[in-house]
Amino acid sequence: MTDFTALIRQLTENEVEFIIVGGAAATAHGSARLTLDLDVVYSRSATNISRIVKALQPLQPYLRGAPPGLPFEWSVETVQKGLNFTLTTKLGALDLLGEIIGGGGYDQLLAETIQIEVGGQKCLCLGLERLIQVKRAAGRPKDLETIAELERIQEESAG
Amino acid sequence: MNHSEQTESRHGLDAVIEAYKKDVDITLIRENLRLTVDQRFQQLMKLQQFAEELRYAGRKARSQS
Repeated sequence: MTDFTALIRQLTENEVEFIIVGGAAATAHGSARLTLDLDVVYSRSATNISRIVKALQPLQPYLRGAPPGLPFEWSVETVQKGLNFTLTTKLGALDLLGEIIGGGGYDQLLAETIQIEVGGQKCLCLGLERLIQVKRAAGRPKDLETIAELERIQEESAG
Repeated sequence: MNHSEQTESRHGLDAVIEAYKKDVDITLIRENLRLTVDQRFQQLMKLQQFAEELRYAGRKARSQS
């Protein structure tokens, strides 16, 4: 099980710059669908990468689905060399994304975020309209039902 | 994919999404929209826990059959 609240707290308390996207963002907007992981787009600045590494270190991050014992070292160098990481942590599944299809990176998405509060922590979440656009751009069959639900939420919110 | 194929593909996607929209449970959405964002995440975690309990029960039942 993923402890969304605790994971978000771990990131915000370490001043990580991130935007919640994916299924968790859909939940924030009112989706009733089950999602199992926390997807975040993170800033690729050197300072932020250092903060991410520090924030997740105590949670023993490891590559999700990879066999145990791989020479995976959670470090600034590892994050700098990679881009998107699907991780398992002591608090659950976390996808750290440097970029997303149809959305780009942190700087491109920043203007289309909203501030939300989870577990007493303020953080950024991708806005509903942009979330729908990103999911449409990804064009994955599994997202089609989610898009339908998000568009219904958009219609309902518009009154 | 050329432009007309892209347009056709987008229209196909729209048609599928519109079809799915008819089955979206609007009552669940209305319930969720009444909650705070924090409450929505609490509800998600309860749902995850319930799903995990169901999976465990399923595994147990299969191992006993």
